[in-house]
Amino acid sequence: MTILSWMDPAEAVVSSSSKSVSTGIGAAADPITTEIIRQGLNAAAEHMKRTVIRTAFSPIIYEALDFAVALYDADMCMLAQAPTLPSFMGTLGFCVEAAVTAIGGSQVLMPGDVVLYNDPFGTGTHPQDAAMVVPIFALDTLVGYAVIKAHWLDIGGKDPYCTDTVDVFQEGTIFPGVKLYDGGQLVDSIYRMVLANSRIPDAVIGDINAMVAGARSGGAALARIVERYGLDEFRRCVARIYDHGEAMVRHWFEQLPDGEYSASSVIDGDGVVGTPIPFEVTVRVHGSSVTVDYTNAPEQTVGPINSPLPSTVAVSRLAVAYLVGNEAPNEGHFRALEVLTRPGSIFHPVRPAPSFMYGVPSDHAIELIINALASALPDLVPAASGGDICALVWWGSREETGEPWADGAPHPVGLGASPQGDGASTMMFHSESATRFTPAEIWEARNPWIIEQCALAQDSGGVGKHRGGLGLNLSFRVIEDCYITVAIARTKLRPWGLQGGGEGRPNDLVIEYPDGRTESHSLTTRVTLPKGTLVHLRTGSGGGHGSPAQREISSVRRDLTEEYISLEHVATHYPHAL
Amino acid sequence: MTVVIGVDVGGTFTDLVMRDQLDGRVTVGKVPTTPHDPELGVLNAIDAVLTPEQVSRCSHLLHGTTVGLNALIERRGATVGLITTAGFRDVLEIGRGDRPDPYDLRPRPKDPLVPRRRRVEVAGRMDSHGQVVTPLDLSGIGSIVDRFADESVDAIAVVLMNSYTNPAHEIQIESELRRCGYEGDISLSYRVSGEYREYERTTTTVIDAFVRHRMGPYLRRLRDGLAQRGFRGELLITRSGGGALTVEEALQRPFETILSGPVAGAAATARLAQALMLPLAIPADVGGTSFDTAAIVDGRLPLNFEGEVDGLPLQCPWVDVRSIGAGGGSLAYVDHGGLLRVGPLSAGAAPGPACYQRGGSQATVTDAALALGMLASGELSGGVGLDLSSAHRVLDDLVTSSGLADRIAVAQGIMRIAASHMAEAVRGITVEKGVDIRSATLVAFGGAGPLFASLLALEMDVDTIIVPSNAGNFSAVGLMQSDVSRSAARTLLRPLVPQTLVDVVAVATNLVASFGAATDNDVYELLLDLRYRGQEHSLTVVLPWSVGADTPTVDVIESQFEAEYHAAYNLNLPESVELVNVRVQRHTRLSVSRDAVSAPRWDGAVGMQDRSVWSFTRNEWVLTPVIERASVPDVGMPGPVLIVEQTATTVVDSGFSVRPGEQESLVITRNRGASA
Repeated sequence: MTILSWMDPAEAVVSSSSKSVSTGIGAAADPITTEIIRQGLNAAAEHMKRTVIRTAFSPIIYEALDFAVALYDADMCMLAQAPTLPSFMGTLGFCVEAAVTAIGGSQVLMPGDVVLYNDPFGTGTHPQDAAMVVPIFALDTLVGYAVIKAHWLDIGGKDPYCTDTVDVFQEGTIFPGVKLYDGGQLVDSIYRMVLANSRIPDAVIGDINAMVAGARSGGAALARIVERYGLDEFRRCVARIYDHGEAMVRHWFEQLPDGEYSASSVIDGDGVVGTPIPFEVTVRVHGSSVTVDYTNAPEQTVGPINSPLPSTVAVSRLAVAYLVGNEAPNEGHFRALEVLTRPGSIFHPVRPAPSFMYGVPSDHAIELIINALASALPDLVPAASGGDICALVWWGSREETGEPWADGAPHPVGLGASPQGDGASTMMFHSESATRFTPAEIWEARNPWIIEQCALAQDSGGVGKHRGGLGLNLSFRVIEDCYITVAIARTKLRPWGLQGGGEGRPNDLVIEYPDGRTESHSLTTRVTLPKGTLVHLRTGSGGGHGSPAQREISSVRRDLTEEYISLEHVATHYPHAL
Repeated sequence: MTVVIGVDVGGTFTDLVMRDQLDGRVTVGKVPTTPHDPELGVLNAIDAVLTPEQVSRCSHLLHGTTVGLNALIERRGATVGLITTAGFRDVLEIGRGDRPDPYDLRPRPKDPLVPRRRRVEVAGRMDSHGQVVTPLDLSGIGSIVDRFADESVDAIAVVLMNSYTNPAHEIQIESELRRCGYEGDISLSYRVSGEYREYERTTTTVIDAFVRHRMGPYLRRLRDGLAQRGFRGELLITRSGGGALTVEEALQRPFETILSGPVAGAAATARLAQALMLPLAIPADVGGTSFDTAAIVDGRLPLNFEGEVDGLPLQCPWVDVRSIGAGGGSLAYVDHGGLLRVGPLSAGAAPGPACYQRGGSQATVTDAALALGMLASGELSGGVGLDLSSAHRVLDDLVTSSGLADRIAVAQGIMRIAASHMAEAVRGITVEKGVDIRSATLVAFGGAGPLFASLLALEMDVDTIIVPSNAGNFSAVGLMQSDVSRSAARTLLRPLVPQTLVDVVAVATNLVASFGAATDNDVYELLLDLRYRGQEHSLTVVLPWSVGADTPTVDVIESQFEAEYHAAYNLNLPESVELVNVRVQRHTRLSVSRDAVSAPRWDGAVGMQDRSVWSFTRNEWVLTPVIERASVPDVGMPGPVLIVEQTATTVVDSGFSVRPGEQESLVITRNRGASA
């Protein structure tokens, strides 16, 4: 139970923050041993991460790093997490709590157990993100849990990737906390259930093994630390580690000016009903405490753009960490931040709401929280970016062998300009900032594609004293029949500028069929692509910062020389440089 | 020809080690590095240590240089023009979309090595099987040559999609560039790397073109300076992947030298491990700013093939040495949460630790060691005097904020935290390799390595530490014992079946042909990057091989892969095994003796008194004898004792014993079960 949640019947608002509170026992811990254990825990999480990367089968894990690893203590408070997918920050506690509760409580766990859990309302995401929870025993005591949540390429569902589901049951097979290993023995019936429910079981087998290997390496590392220092000293030092984390975060929060800050924006649509969905987020700063308030959020939607509570909490932590500072997080880091949500809303959907595209609202919220603080922190807040991970998922059967294949990846966007300078071009969006873009040669070696273009989009950056980062133009020619699910948000909302800066270009995807027909898509499931079709992904760019009239002439000329902008663009937006 | 020289150019000092086989003597020297003209530092060191007669008898000068690395970091190199496949001009700039710091909201990437205006496209396309999808269009090459001439381009890099599987288009572009009159350097990606991943291969090829422009003149100036001094031997440049290149090869493949900095220490450790037959040796090379370590299994240098420098990927073999910011100059501070932290920032050579009295005002590891009595002589090599009261002052500054009892508690904390950083770095490597850290022998060297010997053994739970002869200059000594090595690679994505092995031999034979003349002392290795079908990351299996021979059979290779995979990941998979890359290495052993290099005699400890030193095992001050290294009795002696030599102090705590070992090393053993 990492997060303390309660329902106030009068207002029906849920408050989420760390359940860990300072007990005072940390004061008795030796500060040197505390620091040594803190380093050891962070290193253990890092080893888990490396083990997963080196052994995983799916590029979405080993290249895109679409996974998270963390260690929890016996009270399900987070000891350490390795930096992987930032938007998974702190969500694994929900999985541990839900998985252990489902299995019958910690008393039924034994060494060698691995619990599989992928219920979206506990993971915060979608059924493809499967968590393995491994109890860790040392000195004959349950001392904690190693957890790995990773994206499986397919675990059933109506399609390998869905943008049009209307309930959770269409999204994948749910394993609500079941033992995949029981006392070290693989539970064959569960294992066969997993494989029977995947369109590409071979990749899932490989990834399961990688996750188990990673979790076990973390477990061994935690057990070693406990055995070295003994239970009492370990617990004292951990208490102090949390107190230390809290103090670090409060120190950062104190630098924010007190006040209430709101921002609003519009989501394109929910994938099923096409109408735009306006929403707002409010941030309250009081002393060293911060509250992110989503209680005005719209009702949960028919389509799958609902962000289950764990993701809403995680992206709130992430947005604030982006602004005020961050180091290897632990449970103490989460004590000073409260998140308010309303059950039944898109930021706190209730069963059986679909949530396959949970990232649409939660990624949007990251930039909105940051933007809400633009007036409080004018020197820190950049203009908007392309604002989405621009995911594409492809699958089919190979012509020659009939073998099923699937691949999926996020794609980079331009980042917003800031008071410090131009926005960076083609970077993964903030929620996946550690993710890497797959090389075209790897794609072509694995998939029936020829990549025809991978280029910076000229003139795409928002104009301004500082220019927005450029978006990406990426064209895939499919050389065998296949399918695609397009999962791109922010195709209508143009990335905003700040302080007089211009807007960037929104995301877009155009399919050009062999017969010359073209179609534009944002959230579309299972589009049939006949051999020879061209798919053009045009990712969004960053907004500009400051008035374009103030842009240095030398900067305009450099952009022109490097062909980041055209002469026509200069004439229209920077006439002072002609 | 009886003199061998090793010269290592560091950030602060240029170290020279010379061995004269006439009298078996080894001489070490240290002069300031001359960053703008590094060859001057090298020549100064030679002038300072060798007589002209010795220079004339020198057979080999082995040289580790950071010229290539600095050219990259400072972005001072050739004006490069890049030719790419149509549609891929921006690969170099787009990169992989990740940020150096994932929590940086406003990343500001450095400018690409080749600006967009000098990146041009050529139509023509290969697919991933090496089949031509679109024929190459050479009609624009003439105008590209003109355009590059206008831009004063001095090197052209050519990187085409899928050239790893068929380089024909790159080769045709090279000939056309020459036909159109271009006379400058050309780097073709298939020659530089030959591996897939276009961003990584593009960057590597561009780096090759970029640094050659700096390395060439440097090496030529050095060669001329040596010739003026009567040097008639061979100049060899150390490689990132171990061993050394002849100067001619280094001029051709300069990117292979870029990551060579920390290799010498690991290579020296590997040779010691071979001599002593250590199954797992861990070098602990502690200098002023960094701790460098590696996992050396069965005396073999750990190789990696995806390097990185200054945020840029480099497809080139490099010895897997991990560096963390923990050394004698690492700064201690108390953070906003009230915990004492150490590093990764360092006081460096200037201002240096407070006890140097050169303006340092923040406590460092060296200040802590001094306050704890661990630095016996009161001065460091190079004659830097150490001031205890300055160390006390900066340690006192941390007492209140850290909540610790007194400055001695602060000093202990700094040492333990620094040692724990080092231990975690080692633990990370051993976890990745699937080896048990407790079975390791720690090899402690560098200016501060021997100081940490006992503390590291405690943090790592290791029982044996070896302090090699010439501990403070062990890396430079290692340079003198290098092989001349070459390597090349090619991506060959195939199932591991008998027919593939026929292709492997053909590819390997071709790669060897690019190495130039063979000698009688050549030893070849065939390295295959293998993986389970479906995986991306591969594991490199090293096979014995010689030119003209077949490879071992599929069964033999597969079982070796299965065994090594199991060792690393504790599992095997039912999938079939697939080949990714073929690599060949050639090592040529120099006709230089591999005997242990004796340390110069030093009598700086004569007359030193017993002193009070903090014992981490007993948690109290202990009166500790100070002896010089040569005086350690053959039967050994129990700790505590401080052992001093010219360039290092070895701390043997209570609960440990020390004795002289083979190869003139010191062997420190933890007394298990004995009361500390």
